[in-house]
Amino acid sequence: MGNGILMEELIETDVLCVGGGIAGLMAAIRARELGAKVIVAEKGNTLHSGRGRAGNDHFWCYIPEVHGADMELFLKECLKGPKLRLMQAGTSMKVLRAFLENSFDIVKLWDRWGISMKYQGRWEFAGHSFPGDVLTHLKYAGLKQKRILTEKALEKGAEIMNRVMIYDLLRADGGIVGAIGIHTREKKVVVFQAKAVILGTGFVDRLYPPPVSGWLASVAGGLTLTGDGRAMIYRAGGDVVGPEIPRRHVGPRYFSRYGQATWVGVLRDPQDKPIGPYVTKPDRIYGDMTPEVRGTLLEDYMKSGQGPVYMDCRGISNEDYEYMMYWMVHEGNSSLLEFMKEEGIDIRRHPVEFQIYNMLPEGKIWINERAETSVEGLYAAGDESMGGIGPSATYGWIAGENAATYVKDAPSLDLKKAREKIEEKKVLAEKMRTREIGPDWKEANIALQQIMQDYAGSVRSETLLTAGLSYLQMLRDKADATLMARNQWELTRCLETRNLLDIGELVFIAAQERRESRGLHNRPDYPFTDPMLDGKGLFIRKVGEQPVLEWKAIN
Amino acid sequence: MPPIIDPTKCTGCGVCVDVCSEDVFFGSEKGKVPVITYPEFCVHFNCCASECPEEGAIKLRLPLPQMILYKKGADT
Repeated sequence: MGNGILMEELIETDVLCVGGGIAGLMAAIRARELGAKVIVAEKGNTLHSGRGRAGNDHFWCYIPEVHGADMELFLKECLKGPKLRLMQAGTSMKVLRAFLENSFDIVKLWDRWGISMKYQGRWEFAGHSFPGDVLTHLKYAGLKQKRILTEKALEKGAEIMNRVMIYDLLRADGGIVGAIGIHTREKKVVVFQAKAVILGTGFVDRLYPPPVSGWLASVAGGLTLTGDGRAMIYRAGGDVVGPEIPRRHVGPRYFSRYGQATWVGVLRDPQDKPIGPYVTKPDRIYGDMTPEVRGTLLEDYMKSGQGPVYMDCRGISNEDYEYMMYWMVHEGNSSLLEFMKEEGIDIRRHPVEFQIYNMLPEGKIWINERAETSVEGLYAAGDESMGGIGPSATYGWIAGENAATYVKDAPSLDLKKAREKIEEKKVLAEKMRTREIGPDWKEANIALQQIMQDYAGSVRSETLLTAGLSYLQMLRDKADATLMARNQWELTRCLETRNLLDIGELVFIAAQERRESRGLHNRPDYPFTDPMLDGKGLFIRKVGEQPVLEWKAIN
Repeated sequence: MPPIIDPTKCTGCGVCVDVCSEDVFFGSEKGKVPVITYPEFCVHFNCCASECPEEGAIKLRLPLPQMILYKKGADT
């Protein structure tokens, strides 16, 4: 039993939204509209949390009056783009289709709510497309999106509990009965009884070493994106797909930011030669697609000594410069603009060095077109499943709708059946808080990151993966037995690191099973891409205590 | 890097403390100038500065390892 150092608070609800990002808030809003009692548990503050915390400016969507009536054709065109194709690996066509079908309704909803989706009175599409290709991303003014969505959720009657980190799901009778969390400031554990849970916990930006050595927060997404949802659903016996296929973003060197597609410039080498074949001068509609097609080229330039590579906006027209600056603010890059101004850096005169950032494991929570996961009563939306703003907003909505419908007929719950598990989870948290000596979360996280980089990084092989997995397991055993947290803030980071350890293990196991090279999954021992694996995803779920892998067609 | 707070302008309203996802101001007390407990975990999203109601009370400083690198002498 716990030694009582953490107080327990018990809260009942119909629908629990884990994560108050775009997906979680949309889910809360829709579920409330349909009459469910809704709580959003967010480990930060929903006003400024998640990847969308400071704004975004690209919303993938299908607008018939712009793209034509043939949605299937548009879908095919979208999948040509490398970013979309990679992002959607592990997403079924049914899920993609349902997203596109609903996306315009979500656009109109956001516009009504005060998130301006039109630019100068028109649907403005730009970015993430090749010159001459179909334009897929709507430019929108996302700066205040989190505030608007937060206020809408509260207006609809959702309850928002900020500073609560959910760290495990509670199951009984084959379904969900709730979840357990800690308060990130006060010494307490919060147990939720819920008929349905929606995981909107975002992606994983802390598993691999950050761009600046030893500076854990130098990642583009922030410190708190640790894939909590996918770790929890894996522990609860649900399906995760494709943790072995990583992706990497590109942006300013060392000062990691998203928003590469908002820069209106050309990536050039030190002799001003473009490194890619797509553009030779700044183009505000197409940008430079080189980083999306082959971001590792930037690294190759450094390795061969031909670098650095610069994002060069020289030659940009005044009008395009104003356009770019306007969208940079909405994308959440006002601090970048301020820092550059302070230093006298003017992108019209100074090329800015760009690099490719750390690996992000793809590993999605598998969902169907109703946002249902493989566990009854459990839903997922957002970057944990089908990422990007458009899909996150749309699937948040779909998840909220289906969860609210589900709870109407769901049987009443008995949390008593999960009491033993609750006590077990409490003890896990309390042990970390009571230890006075031992490694803290930083030690464990850094130890994990270097194992991931060296053994499941840009070079993977049977021998490296086998060694790395065994080291990870050694690390996990030590972390489980000795990890300590000096306060609730550190406890939050410890529980996140515990999730990262689980996700790291999935990366190793799945990478071993994928005996081919594909995308950034690079295996010198299997250098070819196996066409028999096209259209297939590698599913992992826990059965008993063991991971079970299965190849399944994704369609 | 750390948000830098000007104590002569800060009113102790605590809005910055409320909105930071990384909770770099952990341990701050309402009504007092916030403490920056975890300066090295600031990710420079400007959430604090954008919500602060007092002009100039808080701003971010970019740490040296994250200095923005640009090509000097390229503007001819």
